[in-house]
Amino acid sequence: MTRYAVGDALPPFTIEDVSSRAMKQWAVFLADPNPIHLDVEAVKAKGLGDRVINQGPINVAYVMNMLLRAFPRGRIETMDSRFLDNVYAGDRAIVNGKIVAIEGNRITCEFALEVDGRATVNSGTATVEI
Amino acid sequence: MSDLDDLPPPPDAAGVSLDGTAVFTITADENAELCRSTGVEPADDGTAHPIYYYVATQVAMGVTVAGLCEACAFDVEDGPMMASSGVRFDAPLRVGESYRVTGEILSLVRKRSRKLGVMDLMTYRLRLHLLDGTQILETDNVWVLPRKEFAA
Repeated sequence: MTRYAVGDALPPFTIEDVSSRAMKQWAVFLADPNPIHLDVEAVKAKGLGDRVINQGPINVAYVMNMLLRAFPRGRIETMDSRFLDNVYAGDRAIVNGKIVAIEGNRITCEFALEVDGRATVNSGTATVEI
Repeated sequence: MSDLDDLPPPPDAAGVSLDGTAVFTITADENAELCRSTGVEPADDGTAHPIYYYVATQVAMGVTVAGLCEACAFDVEDGPMMASSGVRFDAPLRVGESYRVTGEILSLVRKRSRKLGVMDLMTYRLRLHLLDGTQILETDNVWVLPRKEFAA
């Protein structure tokens, strides 16, 4: 059985190229056709940049992927995320995490989703039952 | 004196029910598509991707995203933004399982931000239940609603 310790860094989860196709899929999953996720012209018109913007829940899903790979067969019990900035199509995004507490079979982690060339875009904490 | 004293109060949205009537079923095909869209394969133990906490509660709550904004007298075209999202799971989400949603708007608080100007922070809570009423999770989301009509 894998042994964990406070301070351990978790294996990063990397998204090499954030996909505009995935955003179209998520507009359907979420029943939310907000054009800033689908249409570059809508993003430009709102002064938000020149690439379509990832739906926030996709960014949370990346973090969950990192946690579930770090703790195979683990179960996320709680998770709190703060949305600090946008993730755009074409971005390279990396989720990093570390263990900050262990109580019995519950491990609490801090995480950060970072985008190349910009600061942290999402951060928070999660507790995983292993 | 508050720097908001020259502004009208936000709409009284706290307590608005978000109870849904629709049943949300996590299908194997959609779960697989969703997982792959985020860079992973679906789990082989029958559990769904945990991000369905957000997807299922949003889709099966009692209002659309536009309707949620409308409850706060906010036009969805003005661009709501996610500020935070929290979830507490009582049990894993499962492929093939069906769920219902209950929930409510908890608060709508007007603030002034250097970056965004006047904005309202909407906090709402949604719960996902099995059809027999068993609660599976509870999620609190906070959205920023920029109030462009109060721009200087």
